[in-house]
Amino acid sequence: MFFLRNYKSVIFVIFLLILALVLLSYNVKHDTGGGYFKKIVLEAAAPQQNVLSISTKSVSDAWQRYILLVGLEEKNKNLNKKIDELEANLILYKEGYLEAQRLSKLLNLRNNLNYQFISALVVAREQASLSKTILINKGSVDGLKIGMPVIAPPGLIGRLIDVSWHVSKVLLLVDENSNVAAMLQRTRLQGIIRGAGFRGGILKYIIKNQDVKEGDIIISSGMGGVFPKGLLIGKVSDVEKPDNDLFFKINVAPFADFSQLEEVLILASEEKKSK
Amino acid sequence: MLYYLLLPFLSILLVVTQTTIADIIFSGRLVIEISLIAVVYAGFRLDLTRGSIFSFILGFVFDCIAGSVMGLFTLIYVIIFLCSFIASFFMDAAKMYLVALFCFFCALLEEIMVMLFYTLVLKFDILASVFFVFLPQALVVGLFAPPFFYLMYRAEVFFYGKPFQRTERNGNDRISAEI
Repeated sequence: MFFLRNYKSVIFVIFLLILALVLLSYNVKHDTGGGYFKKIVLEAAAPQQNVLSISTKSVSDAWQRYILLVGLEEKNKNLNKKIDELEANLILYKEGYLEAQRLSKLLNLRNNLNYQFISALVVAREQASLSKTILINKGSVDGLKIGMPVIAPPGLIGRLIDVSWHVSKVLLLVDENSNVAAMLQRTRLQGIIRGAGFRGGILKYIIKNQDVKEGDIIISSGMGGVFPKGLLIGKVSDVEKPDNDLFFKINVAPFADFSQLEEVLILASEEKKSK
Repeated sequence: MLYYLLLPFLSILLVVTQTTIADIIFSGRLVIEISLIAVVYAGFRLDLTRGSIFSFILGFVFDCIAGSVMGLFTLIYVIIFLCSFIASFFMDAAKMYLVALFCFFCALLEEIMVMLFYTLVLKFDILASVFFVFLPQALVVGLFAPPFFYLMYRAEVFFYGKPFQRTERNGNDRISAEI
């Protein structure tokens, strides 16, 4: 029999079992907490535990970071897409807001003047250096006729010179060929404003002994029957008194910004609206 | 001699590793008792002296690190080693399903002993843990046992060139504890 042949081994195992039982009984009875042996084992285990903890923590952290990065990439892509969409929306809303502001000004002007108007959009600008005209998207089909005054906040900007069925050309105040009967609002002195290109306009035929100051407001005088009276045109930017001339040389800065015209109103009739 | 010198450190490493792995996988709810599988493996592969010392030291280290009553797992591991040692005469360790089943029963035996100890000696009622802790733990041990045996088999082939075989089973002299 194996156990008899290995008698020593069996005794040794029995000894170990008894030792374990004694250890257990002693600890149950006295609850010593293991004594020095336990402390030694714990001391030896601590560095291994630390190394393992650090290793697993680094692996776990790396994995978490990887997961986070994968998520971040996807999230970043989504956020960029969203930003693009929002930016597009923002541009759209901004455009809408600016349009609303412009239309509000137009509406105010329309209400203040109490005439019948036809609104139109500017579709093109004349690129020639001397010619200062714009194209609008309304024509004879909409009731437009040559000579009708065109306004945009805050006042007069020109008149129609060509009217097609669906498109019309507006001669701006600043065009060299433009002449508008005007007057100084403060002193009621009347003259004619001629376009001067990038310099704006020149108010002519104001005699040198009259009272003209820089900043004086100029409005349409209504003479000639083309433009109604009282439309804002511009203000005096510079007054010159030539020695060998009978009249002032008055430079006029128009109120309207011709480079930013987008919507305009055409004065369709001088008749007052029936309310 | 080297075996006996290294044994405590390797035991500590094994117990620390298994508790760390258990912490990562099961958040401390279950312990993957690789130490128990190692004891069963020792019962199948080592001679009585060497295996019993291995079980004693491993159990003692487990007691120290796991924080149970000192001597409890020392005693249990030696008993399980003896069971495995006796079973090794009737069982073929090459059949993995038998290994898994035997380890499952060893784990159950261990837990029954722990339960009895806590119930009879310390008067703790831990019957509620049977289904939620003990059975899953025994299943985990049963599942992990075949890979462990296989890896150890590969290691033996790697180190010795052939599977390590206990001399008692060959009828030769006993394998010395000296390496």
